[in-house]
Amino acid sequence: MKCKRKEKSKMTKRSGREWLIYIRKRLRNDWQIYLLLLPAVVYLIMFHYMPIYGVQIAFKNFLPVKGIIGSEWVGLEHFRNFFKSFYWKRLFANTLLLNLFSLLFSFPLPIILALMMNQVTQKKFKGFLQTTLCAPNFISVVVLAGMLYLFLSPTNGMINKLIEFCGGKPVFFLNEARWFRPVYILSGIWQGAGWGAILYTAALSGIDPQLYEAATMDGANKWHKIWYIDIPGILPIIITMLIMNTGNLLTSEFQKTLLLQTPGNIAASDTIGVYVYTAGLEGAQFSYTTAIGLMLNVINFVILIIVNKVAKSIDQSQGIW
Amino acid sequence: MKVKMSTGDRIFTIVNYTLLILALMMVIYPLYIIVIASISDPYAVMRGEVLLWPKDISFIGYERLLKHKDIWIAYGNTILYTVVGTLLNLVLTLMTGYALSREFMGKKFFNLMFVFTMFFSGGLIPTFLQVKSYGLYNNPLVFIVMGAISVWNVIIARTFMKSSLPEELYEAAVMDGCSHVRYFMKIVLPLSKALMGVLVVYYAVAHWNDYMTGLIYISKRNYQPLQVVLKELLTSLQVTDTMSSMLNDVQDNELMMRVAESVKYCAIVISTVPILALYTSMQKFFVKGVMIGSVKG
Repeated sequence: MKCKRKEKSKMTKRSGREWLIYIRKRLRNDWQIYLLLLPAVVYLIMFHYMPIYGVQIAFKNFLPVKGIIGSEWVGLEHFRNFFKSFYWKRLFANTLLLNLFSLLFSFPLPIILALMMNQVTQKKFKGFLQTTLCAPNFISVVVLAGMLYLFLSPTNGMINKLIEFCGGKPVFFLNEARWFRPVYILSGIWQGAGWGAILYTAALSGIDPQLYEAATMDGANKWHKIWYIDIPGILPIIITMLIMNTGNLLTSEFQKTLLLQTPGNIAASDTIGVYVYTAGLEGAQFSYTTAIGLMLNVINFVILIIVNKVAKSIDQSQGIW
Repeated sequence: MKVKMSTGDRIFTIVNYTLLILALMMVIYPLYIIVIASISDPYAVMRGEVLLWPKDISFIGYERLLKHKDIWIAYGNTILYTVVGTLLNLVLTLMTGYALSREFMGKKFFNLMFVFTMFFSGGLIPTFLQVKSYGLYNNPLVFIVMGAISVWNVIIARTFMKSSLPEELYEAAVMDGCSHVRYFMKIVLPLSKALMGVLVVYYAVAHWNDYMTGLIYISKRNYQPLQVVLKELLTSLQVTDTMSSMLNDVQDNELMMRVAESVKYCAIVISTVPILALYTSMQKFFVKGVMIGSVKG
């Protein structure tokens, strides 16, 4: 760190010619770095920055024959059309509610799980727990959806068999709007809670064991140790994760939603992500759906920046950048 | 000396273990039941008799699945995409991660260029149009080129190389006239095995489970990956066309339904076992891997 600062002060005093020599020297040493970076930079330009450049079709009437540049400008027409449409409120509400409930129910669970696993003293059992609880994370979203279709089937799904056994009436879970969010979120927890806990487990393993010893001396029980040592110890990570998740409140993945969407649950499963996919790719309304996607991206970006600022204003060391 | 547990702590421990074992069962049981249902008689599954052990062992589902040509073409495709794709991912990610872990002119700029893509993207449609304009629509290369680098994994690689390889090592190597590429090949790579383990699993899983690329960029049946074909098989409320073509020799409607169910269980097993096997064989790297990724910067 000190060394760097010195170099900087030197740099400001350099004359033009010295600068040239300096740059030449740096390049002689570092050209290989740029070589190593080249493929990645080309990739990012092709697959991330070119699409960002292509976002301009949100303000144009994109026609494939005319191309991105050749299509005519229409200003904010697509945005206006979206807010004039009768479904925009439903799309926004569905997206926001799905994410909000997901955050509410899926966020605390990995933390609790990590705290619980941290209390396990047998190393082998702990390792087994961790390996097994993480396994569902590696199951594909298609297989997860397939499992839900099998288990929740109204005729021979296991869950409905159980309901019938207890004297209830079978429920067509995947065809009822009010069941869409619970199914989506609970299956998400089943799949992701163990994996999400790893992060907190790693943070917990970094807590100084002396703190526990001292607490034991003072007569603290396990509950006290969790409350006064573990939770404060992982609070920074919890806040960082909360920020990242809040920044995702209006993002809309479409794969799982699309896979679980049926004619019956569309009132709850029609989210912005799915709409952009179906209207954009299947309906070929390129400009219109780009506008919707762009709006969402900008909103998310702004939310993220605000949340990050707020976190930083509370405590300088918080925040994700 | 072992400290004696107080009654409160003992109750706490018992409750804790009970809950954890419950969680364990909730994760394992759905997976277990799929395995035993796949090798049981379809009628026994329907009657709800297959709950703890397989009953009337039957491989009719697997036999039917073997006849399903589409799924095996897709299976081969996915293996190919996964192997080639992961290799490319690994090479590019290690190269990039190494470069970004060094000090050089313009480092800040490149860092920003990478990180920005994590927070802002063009979105589905502009990406689709660009990729199509590159001639990658209906081109199997799309499975390898798209997602050739994940910025998140580059950050993991960079952080790993920064934190586990001492700066003195590099300085000593440079003193001896070692170039970046040579240092990277001869010293960094041999010392990054744990990192490679994590990256291989992350990337291989992503390729294996990739459903979106096939859905969006491929319409030709022969290029489709496993997940797309699986989707047709698994997520339908009725017996679909794919299914009925596989089962058209079965006369009895009821039997057809049963066998269709059985095929689904089998399809889940054959598509998920490889990836879970890879994960279990590499899992020792994970806590470390996730920890590296979580370091800020």
